[in-house]
Amino acid sequence: MSIKRAALSIASPVLPERINDYLVQRLAKPLRVQLCEKLTDDFLELLLKAMDLAFILSHSYRDNVRGFRATYVFRTANESVAATALFGDGKMKVEKHGVIPYDVQVTFTDAHALWSFLLSENQDVLDSILANTVDVEGNLNYLYRFGFLARDLTRRIGVA
Amino acid sequence: MITTQDLSLHDVKLAPALTELREAYFRAMPEVCVERPLLITKFSAEAGLFEQARITVLDKGRLYRRVLENRTPVVWHKQAHTQTPSGPQGFSFDDRSPFAGSTTTKFKGVPLYPEFMALALWPELWTMSRRTSNPYFISEEEVRILNLDVFPRWMDRNIAELARARGTDEDRRRIQLLQKFVFFLASKPNCISHTIPDFSRAVREGLRAVIDDAQTRKERVAEQGKKDFYQAVVEVLEGIITYARNLANAAAAMAERESDPARGMELEEIARIYRRVPESPAKTFREGITTVWICWTAVHLENPNVGLSLGRLDQILYELYRDDVATQRLTVEDAVQLLGYFWLKIGDHVPTMPNAGEQLFGGTGSNQAITIGGVDAEGHDAVNDLTYAMLRATELMKLRDPNLNARYDPEISSDMYLRRLCEANINTGATPALHNDRAVIRALTASGHTLAQARDYGVIGCVEPGSNGRFYGHSAAILLNLPSALELALFNGRHRHLAADKVVSIETGDPTTFTSFAEFQEAFKKQALWVIDQAIALNELFGRIHQQFYPTPILSALFEGPLERGMDLIEGGASINGSGFAIIGLSDVADSLSAIETMVYREHRVDFASFLDALRNDYKGYEPLLSRLKNPALTPRFGNDDARADANAHWVIEMLHDAARRRVNYRGGNYHVGYWTMTNHAGFASFIGAMPNGRRMGENFASGLTPCSQVTPSLLPALQSVARLPGECITNGMAVNLKFTPEDGDPDRMLDNFVAAVKGYFNVDRDHGAGGMEIQFNVTSHRDFVEAVNDPARYDQLLVRVSGYTAYFKDLNPQMQKEIIDRTEYRLSTGNAVPYDPIPLPTGGGHVH
Repeated sequence: MSIKRAALSIASPVLPERINDYLVQRLAKPLRVQLCEKLTDDFLELLLKAMDLAFILSHSYRDNVRGFRATYVFRTANESVAATALFGDGKMKVEKHGVIPYDVQVTFTDAHALWSFLLSENQDVLDSILANTVDVEGNLNYLYRFGFLARDLTRRIGVA
Repeated sequence: MITTQDLSLHDVKLAPALTELREAYFRAMPEVCVERPLLITKFSAEAGLFEQARITVLDKGRLYRRVLENRTPVVWHKQAHTQTPSGPQGFSFDDRSPFAGSTTTKFKGVPLYPEFMALALWPELWTMSRRTSNPYFISEEEVRILNLDVFPRWMDRNIAELARARGTDEDRRRIQLLQKFVFFLASKPNCISHTIPDFSRAVREGLRAVIDDAQTRKERVAEQGKKDFYQAVVEVLEGIITYARNLANAAAAMAERESDPARGMELEEIARIYRRVPESPAKTFREGITTVWICWTAVHLENPNVGLSLGRLDQILYELYRDDVATQRLTVEDAVQLLGYFWLKIGDHVPTMPNAGEQLFGGTGSNQAITIGGVDAEGHDAVNDLTYAMLRATELMKLRDPNLNARYDPEISSDMYLRRLCEANINTGATPALHNDRAVIRALTASGHTLAQARDYGVIGCVEPGSNGRFYGHSAAILLNLPSALELALFNGRHRHLAADKVVSIETGDPTTFTSFAEFQEAFKKQALWVIDQAIALNELFGRIHQQFYPTPILSALFEGPLERGMDLIEGGASINGSGFAIIGLSDVADSLSAIETMVYREHRVDFASFLDALRNDYKGYEPLLSRLKNPALTPRFGNDDARADANAHWVIEMLHDAARRRVNYRGGNYHVGYWTMTNHAGFASFIGAMPNGRRMGENFASGLTPCSQVTPSLLPALQSVARLPGECITNGMAVNLKFTPEDGDPDRMLDNFVAAVKGYFNVDRDHGAGGMEIQFNVTSHRDFVEAVNDPARYDQLLVRVSGYTAYFKDLNPQMQKEIIDRTEYRLSTGNAVPYDPIPLPTGGGHVH
């Protein structure tokens, strides 16, 4: 655990929710820049980092995953980008590689495809599957939930 | 019996209160309703159903009873939301409907079924109120409820996931294929629905009599499974009766508080009626409608609102109507007002549609078909005064739902009746669809209905025929993209949308090596059968999951067969069972086969390798070939009464019918094939590149069984080609979409020609058992459609026929709007197509890269 993450974990329970929300907004700035200006291959990593921060800081965001256990693998077909998000005990842990078994695995062509999949204006997980830029294996319902979490995060950082 | 002097009921108008409610209806945007999912989730959890390995019919019966008893009894709605440039805004209105109760708690609700596909809306919960296409209003509190209290419980328990988790590796491979949307859609993860319940017994005898019947049968049988089924029927019917009583009590309480005496009396009358029905037999026309309505809301509580249809209401309610009129309790004007209010109630909900669904099904209602006219079980004319009252109500209300379908028997029905049906189409621009009793009854008897059952057919969903209240046919079980099979044959088992270098089906040979058209036909047939096999295997898997987790006691209690057999519908309890295919892209495939036959093998104008190169390049560099393909004088095209082109359509239809009818489904019924496309001829087309018939990438397929647009210059040959298709092989319905230009000069002459066109189409080769089966119309000019694209607010009530159902033009996605605009438009006075340039493709159309 990084020092910053550890410090936030200790501080957030005693801070008012609005301060925590403010911190989420500030600390997720790199993600906001990606969403508002230019998407790069770092998009997935920044999204997961911002989610991680939000889970640490925001009580109401944490409510979204209370009691939820799941493993998500995100990867490009050539494995140039791969990450695993593990949910459990109201927390999220990120691994920089794929793991097996997973509940759902998302294979996407590039950052734009993943953004479109999760966060475009007329967001729809199915739409990206139709466009054949994203391939999904596993339980689609888990993906729908992840889609909600991503959208909820962007609301909180003032993008949506 | 006809006593009406003026069949058009021209003098009957909508009452001001109904007009006001109708305006509110059009103003209101759909609103997500969380009551059903919340109650279902809560009571399922309390009963331990989430932990059970199987859910029995009795589990379901008890669950639905609790939900029915705890539903909010909404007597009159007061508020809704409307879309404004600054977002949704609330507005109030005066609802004085004589029919209390509603499908959801909202005036125009989106009912959610987490057991099926509601979770697909999860990512959109924060954005659906402002999405471009058909937005739904949802409050922040409702988002919170769905996100925290409802959806998480169903992540591993909805039908799609249960099938994936319980299926074999082969099943999961097929599910991956399904998720590509390229070959077919299997609709059981979303619903079965698509049927007509039997309301006649509920109206005639009342639900208490059905309960007594179930109790008696329960006592007589020894088998525990049957006892449980009968008890489940008792549970749900008691629940429905309680719901009606709760509505009565709510109305009575409102009446006591009401300061306006007139409104107070209306509420007291609602309370009085809802205390009587549906428990007891209906004694008046209004009570009859009330019984149907309350049962209808219960059916929707259990079964997703897709294609559930009301059947022959002009037959079921006729005696009550006749007696009321005879005793002067009712006038025809009163009846039309009641029907108008009832029509609004029927349309009080819209389907749950995630954004991508808008691409495939955009603008659809829940396709609640009502059937009028035709013949009775003995073959006598069944058209009556109520038939005309329903036509007038439809004409005045101009609503998307209900989807009105009129039966017409060329030998029995009167000319005046047909004339009135055509007139209603001119007045509404799009409804009713017309069905030829002779052809439909012949197809149904060929598929296993008895003659009496076939004569009592009603229309299900879009255009699918099935015997009223006794045919559980899931007519939309599989929506099959036929051009995908052609694609696989052209590219030896590969599909350009998925991966041009990867075999996704079976290798049927490189067509450049084929020496005859028959070889190519054989390759196409093998690929089509491969797609059919995948689709049927998945339908069977999903069917078994329905059997394990989704018995339907409410629908079973209102159906012929389950009570007699002591068996739920999902186990095969219906008198007649089946599963249906809807084939998308028939005309494009038939024309493509004709193009290959003519260009490559008969006239040797192009070799197959060059033809494939033309397809890969979307005909760029092959413009002379493209021009030749589009000219019906040079290349045979289906719809010109050209035997060479029509033969390929016949061959495909017979081949698909033969493949399907051999298969028996999990309920013991056969598979049936139909040709209606809803909006899938636009959605599926986006996955297919250029085709051999000259269709270019991004262009829509032809709808239903309609010949391809702009290649059939004359109406008569177009109708003859379609009418001569083998109807006995089209047992799951067909949609033929025609577009007529409204003509200002001589309306009577236009109507005469309209009637003549329909009669001619229905009577083609009648002596040989042929004759067009179904036909539907858009009577709106090209100019008005184009204006409606540019100024949707001005045309917000423009009703159109898509391919089966009716829709509001403004709700259709751009691709679908283009398809309707580009359809061949005929001038009735000449029978010739009206020339105009196709509008440009909308940006973003097509997914082929």
